[in-house]
Amino acid sequence: MSKEKYLEAIRDSIVNLDFDKSREYTLKALEANVKPQEIISKSIAEGMDIVGKKFESGEYFLSELIVAGEIGKEITSILEPHLKGSEISRVGKVVIGTVRGDLHDIGKNIVAIMLEAAGFEVIDLGADVPPEKFVEAVKKENPDIVAMSALLTVTMVEMKNVIDALKEAGLREKVKVIIGGAPVTEEFARSIGADGYGADAVQGVRICKAWMEEKSKTKT
Amino acid sequence: MEFNKTSLSLEEIKFGFSKFPLKYGINLEVGNGKVIPEIKYFPRVKEDLKEEYINITKEVLNRAVDLGIKDLQLETELTYVETGNPKLAGEIVRSQRDIIEKYAKEYNINLGLRVTIADMRDFRKEKHDEESFTKMLETFEEVSKNGADVLSIESEGGKELFNYSIIRQDIIGIVVSLGLLSILDMKKLWKEIVKIARNNKVIAGGDSACAFANTAMRLAGGMKNNTIPHTLAAVVRSMSASRSLIAYEEGAVGPGKDCAYENVIIKAITGYPMSMEGKSSAVAHSSLVGNVAASACDLWSNEQVENIRLFGGYGPEVFLEILYYDTKLMNEAIKNKNQDCLKKILVESDKYLDPQAYVLSPEVALEIGKTIVSEKDTLLRTIFAGIKLVELMTKEERLNLNKNETRFLKVMKTTLEEISKEPYKKVEQALPTYEQKISEYRLKDYF
Repeated sequence: MSKEKYLEAIRDSIVNLDFDKSREYTLKALEANVKPQEIISKSIAEGMDIVGKKFESGEYFLSELIVAGEIGKEITSILEPHLKGSEISRVGKVVIGTVRGDLHDIGKNIVAIMLEAAGFEVIDLGADVPPEKFVEAVKKENPDIVAMSALLTVTMVEMKNVIDALKEAGLREKVKVIIGGAPVTEEFARSIGADGYGADAVQGVRICKAWMEEKSKTKT
Repeated sequence: MEFNKTSLSLEEIKFGFSKFPLKYGINLEVGNGKVIPEIKYFPRVKEDLKEEYINITKEVLNRAVDLGIKDLQLETELTYVETGNPKLAGEIVRSQRDIIEKYAKEYNINLGLRVTIADMRDFRKEKHDEESFTKMLETFEEVSKNGADVLSIESEGGKELFNYSIIRQDIIGIVVSLGLLSILDMKKLWKEIVKIARNNKVIAGGDSACAFANTAMRLAGGMKNNTIPHTLAAVVRSMSASRSLIAYEEGAVGPGKDCAYENVIIKAITGYPMSMEGKSSAVAHSSLVGNVAASACDLWSNEQVENIRLFGGYGPEVFLEILYYDTKLMNEAIKNKNQDCLKKILVESDKYLDPQAYVLSPEVALEIGKTIVSEKDTLLRTIFAGIKLVELMTKEERLNLNKNETRFLKVMKTTLEEISKEPYKKVEQALPTYEQKISEYRLKDYF
């Protein structure tokens, strides 16, 4: 099998949501000396792009986008031992959690998986996360973005407490803050001083990616 | 008691009538010829919860008097805060009870009070958080002693695996979660709840697969939502009935909890009265099942409304009025012998528009019910309930399915049939794999 065929086969296994085939072809491609970087930039990136388009056109469900993301993640974990340190690059780093008093984490989990699939390093603090834990994580992990979720009107007010705690700790200017969840609105996001609001996971990830692109432009 | 046949015929699955009506509370009779509103409310203040519940109860009962309501059930769904404080929970219920008795006497209203406690267990903890389990039972005991008429819960055993599986449309994970883990937990929990109910001479109402099937329903969402397949959400609903049935096999007698949309299937099997919610629960969440859900209800609920001020009064009193007119319509149809006609309208107006509505139509619910009781084994019941609905949806030409849904329906058919060939082998293979993937999953604590 030629190098191109391996790259195509891995890409197609992502598009077809086939875990077994993706693993099989990745291992075979490595044996055939296909460069891991090429698998990342061609097979995974192209595969995810196709799946993303299929989702946008209504041909795939979001859950299928998640599965594709997990396949991409698994392929990357097979490749990582073969990559040099400098070759492992991340789009950015996100600290994410569902705020204090709220145990609903399914939406947050979807966003976390999709951020990882988009190339972000994600530090997931879980559910029922108090402001001080967000602050601690920002100090320790030095993320680019803090993402918060809430499902209840009574807990969404905690998002402001997190932002206030970040301000108090002198960390607010170091991170972008994005919020989401059923009762949350753009207006609410503005009122508590968040930088962004994701109406759904896809939009949330899009905003985070745009922020990182902007950041990289500022750096250069 | 194990159910091995359905209790109701298709004609008997209808609003306002059950095979085993219940009498409880203050002269309240449920499932015996009329539909009764069940109002549920959510406190807005955190500081003085007891005072808030007192105010809500008075608001609601004043509106009931104003409207001339003669039969009413209130549902107090305790949050983690009150459930974790049995004494406070008891005090809240006692204060509500005192008001209820006063209004019943003064205004001659038949009243009942359901108390639902929160499943506050942290399943990541050793033995699935035994301490919280004990506290939950204490709270059930306290509210029973202080004036609750009906006990309910939306239990969450198996949810950690379900949450992982549903967003990945991982069918074996969903089967294990609903058909094994959730059922094991339900058996343990409902043995205790039924014991408490019997000791205190109150009613063990029922459980809801809210944490499972309603999560799937919310993810599936409306017509333009593409998060998970609507056919999958419907299959989860179908399979969840075998799980919710456990409460009744352990001794619960209804009325089933409002948000358990699978109650249509449960009613077909048990013949017990059921509470349902639909169009008037849009205040809490949107759904595609607003009318069909009413076709077999005995109590009609609003799901949850915050105690906030609206133009027409506070949320709970406003929604009581909406529920009341919904039930008046149904009761008038019963009185004027137009029930079959109204039932048909309620069903047909939703049934074919979405799989989530289709599964709740009495015809389909009865077929699923028959499938469930034809099996003794709970895992098989769950799998076959899923397969039966897939078969029915595949055959139904009138059902509104786009290409994407039709594609996924085929995936489900193949996967579920594959699992059904060697169910226990498939489950045994799958079980340990999730331990590596889900940090909060403690498999051994289910056994």
